[in-house]
Amino acid sequence: MSEEFFYFLQQLLNGLTVGSTYALIAIGYTMVYGIIGMINFAHGEVYMIGTYVTFIAITGLTMLGIEYMPLVILCALIIAIVASCSFGWAIERTAYRPLRGTNRLIPLISAIGMSIFLQNYLVQAQGARDIGLPPMITGGWSFGPDSFQASVSYMQLIIFIATAVSMLALTTFISKSKMGRACRAVAQDLQMANLLGINTNRVISTTFVIGAALAALAGVLLGLYYGIANPYIGFIAGLKAFTAAVLGGIGSIPGAMLGGLILGVTESFTAGYFSAEYKDVVAFSLLVLILLFRPTGLLGKPEVEKI
Amino acid sequence: MKKKFKLASLAASVLLMGVSTFSAADTIKIALAGPVTGPAAQYGEMLLNGANLAIENINKAGGVNGSMLEGVVYDDACDPKQAVAVANKIVNDEIQFVVGHLCSSSTQPASDIYEDEGVLMVTPASTSPAITEAGHQMVFRTIGLDSLQGPKAANYVTNSVKPKSIAIIHDKQQYGEGLASSVKATLESKGSNIVMFEGITVGDKDFSSLIAKMQKAKVDFVYYGGYHAELGLILRQASEKGLKAQFMGPEGVANDGLTAVAGDSAEGLLVTLPPSFDSNPLNKSLVDSLKAKNQDASAVFVLTSYSAVQVMVDAMKATGGTDTDAMQAMMRTTTFNTPTGQLQFNDKGDLTDFEFVVYNFHADGSKTLAK
Repeated sequence: MSEEFFYFLQQLLNGLTVGSTYALIAIGYTMVYGIIGMINFAHGEVYMIGTYVTFIAITGLTMLGIEYMPLVILCALIIAIVASCSFGWAIERTAYRPLRGTNRLIPLISAIGMSIFLQNYLVQAQGARDIGLPPMITGGWSFGPDSFQASVSYMQLIIFIATAVSMLALTTFISKSKMGRACRAVAQDLQMANLLGINTNRVISTTFVIGAALAALAGVLLGLYYGIANPYIGFIAGLKAFTAAVLGGIGSIPGAMLGGLILGVTESFTAGYFSAEYKDVVAFSLLVLILLFRPTGLLGKPEVEKI
Repeated sequence: MKKKFKLASLAASVLLMGVSTFSAADTIKIALAGPVTGPAAQYGEMLLNGANLAIENINKAGGVNGSMLEGVVYDDACDPKQAVAVANKIVNDEIQFVVGHLCSSSTQPASDIYEDEGVLMVTPASTSPAITEAGHQMVFRTIGLDSLQGPKAANYVTNSVKPKSIAIIHDKQQYGEGLASSVKATLESKGSNIVMFEGITVGDKDFSSLIAKMQKAKVDFVYYGGYHAELGLILRQASEKGLKAQFMGPEGVANDGLTAVAGDSAEGLLVTLPPSFDSNPLNKSLVDSLKAKNQDASAVFVLTSYSAVQVMVDAMKATGGTDTDAMQAMMRTTTFNTPTGQLQFNDKGDLTDFEFVVYNFHADGSKTLAK
């Protein structure tokens, strides 16, 4: 097998890793839009909080003397999910629920305000500087000829597996469980679902909490993978994830997954074969192209006007 | 009844405003402009530490021409747009002296405003040559230029490192890209083999594609122009992927923000830095004062900021007032005695002489002279 093939494989793996992380955060955006037709701009901040809580939890647990790494990471994951879910739920209750039923733009502005508020809250609480975490999970597999070794690190594998498992779990939840059915009903027609006796407020809160949990998972994985956090990472990650959600069709969960992977792979191949400087240009041009030909995104359902 | 209350409160607020301006007239305000928040906040802190110590010492010695100095902090977050807003605010607050800004991309647009309004600006940290190319009379700096730092790094590379394949990466900003281009020009003139010259975006976290590209091109030396956040991530990811290359960076990377992210992979990084002014025995009392406040005296911009304040104060004393026009004229004609040496400014406002030194950076944050 030639060097070129392994190089291609390496860039593909890099792209899928980055793409998986976009997908995890994009799901939060797409689910909320599907249910209440609103873009939750504060979602990126929930991911950022997940990363911070992970760092704090890991540092705290290691200081308490717990040495066994998988246990530390698992505990940190649980703590991060609990923290992010609480934030997600609280954000919905304070910033969006009181504005339900108003013009679409008003909750949007409220979301932006909440996003700025959370960033600055973290700046005050934790400082504006970058904080770092030493590598916790190291090592991986290398394969290929001596002239170019493609490598997959264990952390990357964990990211793939965690993303795949959570996607599967979410899809099963939505299609098989009672609450999942309620979510689908509310997504189709909120007023009708209300009339039929579904507690729509609880469904909406659940959606936010699930989105926040996935963002927390992304926060843990990316915190361990990159080892850096600052109060502004939510903004950039949110922007990319939102793009992925729109690319795949906003409102569609498989769309968010597909959009994330496509975005990640495009960025990776552009950087690998063309130039790292134009990575974002190509990725966003792709978004424009796809929206020109399919305005609702790749897997999006066209908006049907109900008469 | 309501009308009387309104009138009374209006009168009270006017009086209060009057009182506050009266008290301000007794102090000379110096604006300290730099990043207090954002990715470059560490450097902003260095600027504030140095400048505040200078203001403290000068006030203890009796102030300047009978007035005390007062430092007023402004945050530009290393963002050019915010820097312009800060510059306008400083002008509106009627402050005539600025120590700052810090990031070259912020100093550049701000300097245009200061020149228009007659505000004297001394930057202790912006190294981009473009800042003094515009012919501004109000702009000075107490640090060297990237047009010196770049060739210094490149000469070290060709004389001591002698790598086979060089990659030059920058962060597309004024400071980083300027340096990278300067290094590239010098290396090319010496016939080095540069296989990659690429930019990354500030705020990016994933550099695995870039690193794979470098591995494919068998790069064994990487020069990075930019700040510590991205280089820290690149070092960490390069070490994980097994890229065996020597990295080198400018003074914008050598701080504990780098080691927090890169950890052990920062060991052996080459950096070009201003000389260690803190190891000069003449500065011992300053170093001790900083240590007493738990501040790091060896941080790159601390003593250059002290010098910036010193230079302004000496100019005020020499001209007997705060006329910025007279001050800037006299600043070019004399030698200033500062913690960073005997400083002389040329026509452009640059120091006539400033040596950058090549160091080996270590994972614990210390540095040793590179041979």
